[in-house]
Amino acid sequence: MIEFWNPYAPLASRQRRLLGVGSVLALLLAWSLVAASGLVSPTKLPAPWDVLAALSYLSWHEGDSMLLTATLWSVGRLLVAGMLVIVIGIPVGIVMGAAPQVNAALSPLVDPFRSAPVVALLPILVMWLGIGETMKIAFLFIGAVVYLIPMVRDAIQAVPQSYWIGARDLGATPWECIYRAVIPMAMPRIADAVIVAFSVMWTYITVAEYVNARQGLGQLIQNARRFSAWDQVFAGIIVIIALALATYQFMAWLKRRLYPWETQQ
Amino acid sequence: MEKPATAAGTGAAAKSLSVVLRDIVQEYPTPGGNLTRVIDRVSLSFDQPGINMLLGPSGCGKSTLLHMLGGVRPMGVDTPTAGAVLIDGVECHGPHDDAVMVFQRYANRPDLTVFDNVAFPFRLKLWKSLVPEVEWRQRVAEILKAVGLSDKLGLRPAQLSGGQNQRVALARALVLRPRILLMDEPFGALDAQTRDEMQRLLIELYQSWPCLVVFVTHDVTEALVLGDRVIVLSTQPARVADDFVISEARPRSATWQRSREAQALEERILEQLHQASPGKGQVRVTV
Repeated sequence: MIEFWNPYAPLASRQRRLLGVGSVLALLLAWSLVAASGLVSPTKLPAPWDVLAALSYLSWHEGDSMLLTATLWSVGRLLVAGMLVIVIGIPVGIVMGAAPQVNAALSPLVDPFRSAPVVALLPILVMWLGIGETMKIAFLFIGAVVYLIPMVRDAIQAVPQSYWIGARDLGATPWECIYRAVIPMAMPRIADAVIVAFSVMWTYITVAEYVNARQGLGQLIQNARRFSAWDQVFAGIIVIIALALATYQFMAWLKRRLYPWETQQ
Repeated sequence: MEKPATAAGTGAAAKSLSVVLRDIVQEYPTPGGNLTRVIDRVSLSFDQPGINMLLGPSGCGKSTLLHMLGGVRPMGVDTPTAGAVLIDGVECHGPHDDAVMVFQRYANRPDLTVFDNVAFPFRLKLWKSLVPEVEWRQRVAEILKAVGLSDKLGLRPAQLSGGQNQRVALARALVLRPRILLMDEPFGALDAQTRDEMQRLLIELYQSWPCLVVFVTHDVTEALVLGDRVIVLSTQPARVADDFVISEARPRSATWQRSREAQALEERILEQLHQASPGKGQVRVTV
């Protein structure tokens, strides 16, 4: 057993997994016990097996998978918004990080939104963009891009100056210094920013689909709530968490594949 | 801006060369709004190939002088504040193609292989237009052989030792066949044995490509082992405290290093440094 209170002690991966799975199981057990004991009414806390049954009902019922349809819609919205976040947010962040003048001009417009109540923007977006897909994509986009832009900027500024000086000394033009030396070195942290942006979008998806959605996981949860089908609400939340986790794992894996040198430094 | 020396494959660097630092003054703004003078009226001139050692206590402004010669402006401030850097009589502002720098750290890109690190300059517009691909590929192969890394082409910097990394940096500088090679404490982070190896390698490389080397160090022994000329700078603001020539041929044997001549030079340097920075023991003497 590795000593306690030592943040640098390497934990064997088997031990780490054991502890992780153990705590999830412990939570499930506690949940089951509370539900089985009847201490809390099922209208307030559905039992795990009821949630499981709801999951199976949503997954396949009368030749139709509500869950799959909803998931595809949500994932689709997330991907469209994610593409926009990447295509617009990364270049803006890079320019802000690379040119102090642009940063000084734009950061008062971008930085405050990190702590702005993005959810409160929803009615305004509805007023401007209506209640269709544009509004939902715009909401997800704004919610994520205000995190991504400052992170990308910081990633650029965190690149040690020596790489810039080195390229400059070798005769690189100012833009070549950024493009050939600074950006490649900032890529792992830019990838981190993209990962965070997708996590943020998963947390906002239910809000985005709150207004007038006919499809999507947010709508599914919203609908279940209206009929007090708490088991389905829980099932929907669990599906979103699982999808967010899968997205994270996939993107983290992709990042390690693309930038294996980052961890070797 | 001068054209770089691209005389391909002749094996001899340009013989005529003139680099002049004239009355250089450098001041940097402090956070308090004042100005700190880092360099105070330094004048130096170099008119032939040779290894010139810039020696001085830590933080005395040696690196700032070197950056000036290389035309890089790391602080975003105008350099020099007063005075001029002249290369072949032409005042130089900003980066120029005659000089290449070798840094102590961070020079190698962790994301690129050894080959791509050395070939990096040829991905830039400037060198792409000056050296055709067939030629630079050959040059990269040759220089990697010269620094003894022919079998490490595909490795990344993290897979190399400190000495091997510095070989990559040297190779990247020399592959451009520069007229001026600026070295900013390049071996300062290496262990003693590796430093000896790198010093021997530098001497070999210099013999096959004699250029103007300006080598910043705070290691007195290194200055004596490598230098054709040793320039001692005082502590901040830097002034030239001493400037002399060592005529002993390189490589300099251990016997020479223990000779009365070498001892006398060492004492002379140390005395200058102590006068220049009284009470500060920042100078390292190895061996």
